[in-house]
Amino acid sequence: MRNKLISMQEAVAKYTWDGMQYAHGGALPVGTDSIAFGREMLKQGRKNLDLISNCNTQQSNLLAAAGAIRKIEVGFAGLEVYGFANGLKRAVETGKTILEDYSNGSIPLRLLGGALNWPFVPATINVGSDEEWCCAERPDEYPCTTKIPKITDPFTGKQVGVFTVLKPDLAAIHVTMADIYGNAIMLGTEWSRYELSRAAKKVVLQADFIVDTDCMRQYPNLVRIPDVVVDAVVYWPMGAWPACSTGVYDSDEKEMFAMNAALKTDEGYEEYRKKYVDSYTTVEEYLDVIGRDKVAQLCTNPTTHLMDPYRKWIKSDAEIKQLMEGR
Amino acid sequence: MDYTRQEMMAIATGREFADGELAIFGVGLSMLAGFWAQKNHAPNLIAFTEGGVFGSTPVGGLPWGIEDNRISANATSFTNAIDALGCLVASGRVDNAVIGAAQIDKFGNVNTTGIWVGDVPWSAGKYVLPKVRLNGSGGANEIAVGAKKYVIMANHEKKRFAEKVDYISSPGYLNGGNEREKYNFPGGGPSSIVTTMGILRPDPVTKEFYLDAYFAFSSIEEIKENTGWDLKVSPNVKVVPEPTELELANLREIDVTGSLRKK
Repeated sequence: MRNKLISMQEAVAKYTWDGMQYAHGGALPVGTDSIAFGREMLKQGRKNLDLISNCNTQQSNLLAAAGAIRKIEVGFAGLEVYGFANGLKRAVETGKTILEDYSNGSIPLRLLGGALNWPFVPATINVGSDEEWCCAERPDEYPCTTKIPKITDPFTGKQVGVFTVLKPDLAAIHVTMADIYGNAIMLGTEWSRYELSRAAKKVVLQADFIVDTDCMRQYPNLVRIPDVVVDAVVYWPMGAWPACSTGVYDSDEKEMFAMNAALKTDEGYEEYRKKYVDSYTTVEEYLDVIGRDKVAQLCTNPTTHLMDPYRKWIKSDAEIKQLMEGR
Repeated sequence: MDYTRQEMMAIATGREFADGELAIFGVGLSMLAGFWAQKNHAPNLIAFTEGGVFGSTPVGGLPWGIEDNRISANATSFTNAIDALGCLVASGRVDNAVIGAAQIDKFGNVNTTGIWVGDVPWSAGKYVLPKVRLNGSGGANEIAVGAKKYVIMANHEKKRFAEKVDYISSPGYLNGGNEREKYNFPGGGPSSIVTTMGILRPDPVTKEFYLDAYFAFSSIEEIKENTGWDLKVSPNVKVVPEPTELELANLREIDVTGSLRKK
């Protein structure tokens, strides 16, 4: 087994490029996501991206505000109770970003199809509605017959729609804990991260904790992402901030609103970028930017008991440093 | 008794849920109505969210999302999207649900995708960008297709209640009659539209929504004025019973932040 721990800078430099199809995940819009990975993509100037986002999150909201998204395929484009995603909304309304509408159930099915190397996936949803008839990428085709084309079910003779499958170039997936080989446990809803980890050509994990492999040997049923599908592991605590990571830290409610408000304008985005993207290099500096008191406060929340069974296997920062150097 | 239109809407929605049903709730108002039903009259209502969060009740206030820590603190199971939206909803297993609407038409089709000004896709014959981009379907398309029945919840305003929606994000009865059969949808379609003024239900044959009942503070005239199609009124139209003291007390215990009390 190979030690796959690498730095955030190295992961983004090695696994991302301009014009790629990039997927992130993800527990719906305001649960967890690999948001720190997206910040690093901005630092390295990535642009012209095609995103696969089961749901919009603050990551796609930020990348859209930066003008880095050419096209996004998405099931839900908002931020739930935090409101519309201003960065993405603005990019779509001004025509900078093409938004292709699906639903929250069809994106994971298309990923599952990609994971299984199926030619297509039967569409029992999104048919008979404008997700079928409207295609943002080919607007002149209306009612569109190529986004969810019809085939004949050979068993019943009935017409049935089919989805194209998804095989993103890269999936950056947030997990609660991973070992250095890429075995990972997620707390909270898994959402579509299981399918995503198998559909993508490359997988980078962004983990809140690095744990000893003994943890995985104690709870192998909970390791829904095994090392065989993972290419790299990045240790980045508080990496879903300002969203929450169930079992670890709470949503930073004030910052969820403030970030979304900033992304409403170009000026707001520039200021946000200066303050929360360009302002740090190391994990230590990143935590300083959030504020150490804030971090402590967010780490006391109603879900912390969910981490209790795993605590004894958590690697310290010093141990992680050693593991990185010992690669 | 002193209560708001929003509170009446939440209670009227919750009354559509029966004990023992398997139900899926969305975030915000929909979840309030569902948890109220559970507390008030349906203790064996089994609820889950589209994120695959099962068996939980919110802690520390109304959740910001259906997957956040407030709803994840005491769950009995965490699964995933394909399980919740696929195996339980799109498959036809879920009994009842609530979805919201930015725009809604007389056949119960729901638009949550965008607001167009001037040409809409079906009049332009091509996909034109909306003037105001909204959130899209989320999991509502799966509910509309698969739930045995569901409630549509919306503020009753003329601009929202249109003859024909700009965009069908979640299909109701499409062009009416039995058009849903064309798509082999396992679900039965919307059973009611609960608004801030009253309750609309579909005609069993044409599937056009008519006024079934109105809230005590509203009237047939007010509702017709605020509906964008020529709304038919049931010959047996009635007044919706006002919230009882107990119903209201139960709701306010769940709506801890008072989000429904703002007038």
